[in-house]
Amino acid sequence: MTDSSSLKPIVDLASGHTVRRYDQELAKLRGIILEMGERVVEQTQSAVRALVDREDSQAFRVLDREPQIDFLSLDADEEVFLVIARRQPTAVDLRIVLALSKIADDVERAGDKAVRIARQALELRDLNTGSDLLSETMRETLRQLDDKACCMFERGIQAVATFDVALALHIFEDEPSLYQASHEARQLLGEQDREGLTPRQAVCLLTTAHALERIGNHAANIAEQVIYVALGQDVRYRNRDILIETLRHHGY
Amino acid sequence: MNTMVEAIDKATGAMSSAELAGGQHSRATVGDFTAVDPRMVCRNVDVWYGSKQAIHGVSLDIGKNEVVSMIGPSGCGKSTFLRSLNRMNDTIVGCRVTGSIQLDGQEIYDKGLDPVPLRARVGMVFQKPNPFPKSIYENVAYGPRIHGLTNNKAELDELVEDSLQKAGLWNEVKDRLDQPGTGLSGGQQQRLCIARTIAVSPEVILMDEPCSALDPIATAIVEELIDELRQNFSIAIVTHSMQQAARVSQRTAYFHLGDLIEVGETNHIFTNPQHKLTEDYITGRFG
Repeated sequence: MTDSSSLKPIVDLASGHTVRRYDQELAKLRGIILEMGERVVEQTQSAVRALVDREDSQAFRVLDREPQIDFLSLDADEEVFLVIARRQPTAVDLRIVLALSKIADDVERAGDKAVRIARQALELRDLNTGSDLLSETMRETLRQLDDKACCMFERGIQAVATFDVALALHIFEDEPSLYQASHEARQLLGEQDREGLTPRQAVCLLTTAHALERIGNHAANIAEQVIYVALGQDVRYRNRDILIETLRHHGY
Repeated sequence: MNTMVEAIDKATGAMSSAELAGGQHSRATVGDFTAVDPRMVCRNVDVWYGSKQAIHGVSLDIGKNEVVSMIGPSGCGKSTFLRSLNRMNDTIVGCRVTGSIQLDGQEIYDKGLDPVPLRARVGMVFQKPNPFPKSIYENVAYGPRIHGLTNNKAELDELVEDSLQKAGLWNEVKDRLDQPGTGLSGGQQQRLCIARTIAVSPEVILMDEPCSALDPIATAIVEELIDELRQNFSIAIVTHSMQQAARVSQRTAYFHLGDLIEVGETNHIFTNPQHKLTEDYITGRFG
């Protein structure tokens, strides 16, 4: 398969219904999820800043903003319900609605992880007796893990905007470096533990690293749904290396 | 080979066929048009109305105990194709059918073949219920009588009851069999027409938009009936309701401008069709 133009999805996923209101309803549903995604990235970055840079106000901001994402997820559920009831979607439209419903869950759960990190920041504040709880190396490692997770998640949201298979593949390709960054954080935490972290403080940092890794996992889940919409193939629980190789071979 | 790889190869391969020649769509049928146990076998069927070709080289099987739905926009040829399956087009001046249409291995367009018994073997239910202006009993008894399918009144009574039972109408009409069929409701009239069709023991039943004149409740009853009839008959149904095609059929064929564009398992056609024209039509992106 050498002609990459032949591998484009067979319909314009963004529009084209004879009933234009149908396009608007799908666009509205997708718009809600894109907004949720943008907020989750902001929440995650604020939560990590609260923990790494000791900015307590950022942690409170994350907790204050949590309900906004929850309410948006309720709006997304409502739109899914109404589109199914009104339009009885088929084929690619059915895949879009089912996938966006699952993506909304992943985005909402990623938002919960940001809240979890913010809570760890506040708990560390309460536990900390001195100002230098985290070494600069630890801070930098967490920032890198945050950058990796947020980059994957932003790509996931961008991929949803256009149901972009190539972008979804980038997310899969980023997974090993996400796990590597998470592994490094845990390794470093072991060393810091020996340098005087209490078990409770160590648990807070472990929880943070795990939450960031999970945000990256949610991005990968979103990427799976993007491929499902664009190609009609369910690639969950499939070997990533073979999947990437196959789709790259087909020009993505 | 990994099944995922096969699936992606298949999906992307089909997409490429849809995009051939700079966006021109291939007219070759996508999907397997054969049936495992075919009752009717159609190959390269062309239908002409005078100099105008309405059907272009359509090949499609109607399998035993299956419902095949035919969908497509108005003028796509689905009804023309359906009517060619029991030579109903013979009555149209200037209509010409070429290619091969076989019923249990026998060419139905053989010059020596009498279309009247053929239409008993391949019965038809029309869009608008059309009971004879006779009693309910006579509507069902007429076919078996002229085809000599019973030997006496008792056998005929039994056949009428059995047909009305199979059509799900018996309990509603058993006490008024002598009343006019035209006095029934629209949904009951359509089921009476179905009873009339199955009374002559067809092998295949053709249905041309059988529910388009019925309300949703009557439609649901007929759809339930279609599912029951499948146990004993092969059914080909033309419908403008894609939801109905999705509900009642095991295979779906999509027609466009006289071509059979795509055929496949209904579950697949309505979730992941392979041809752009099919996708556009069933998702409402085609006028």
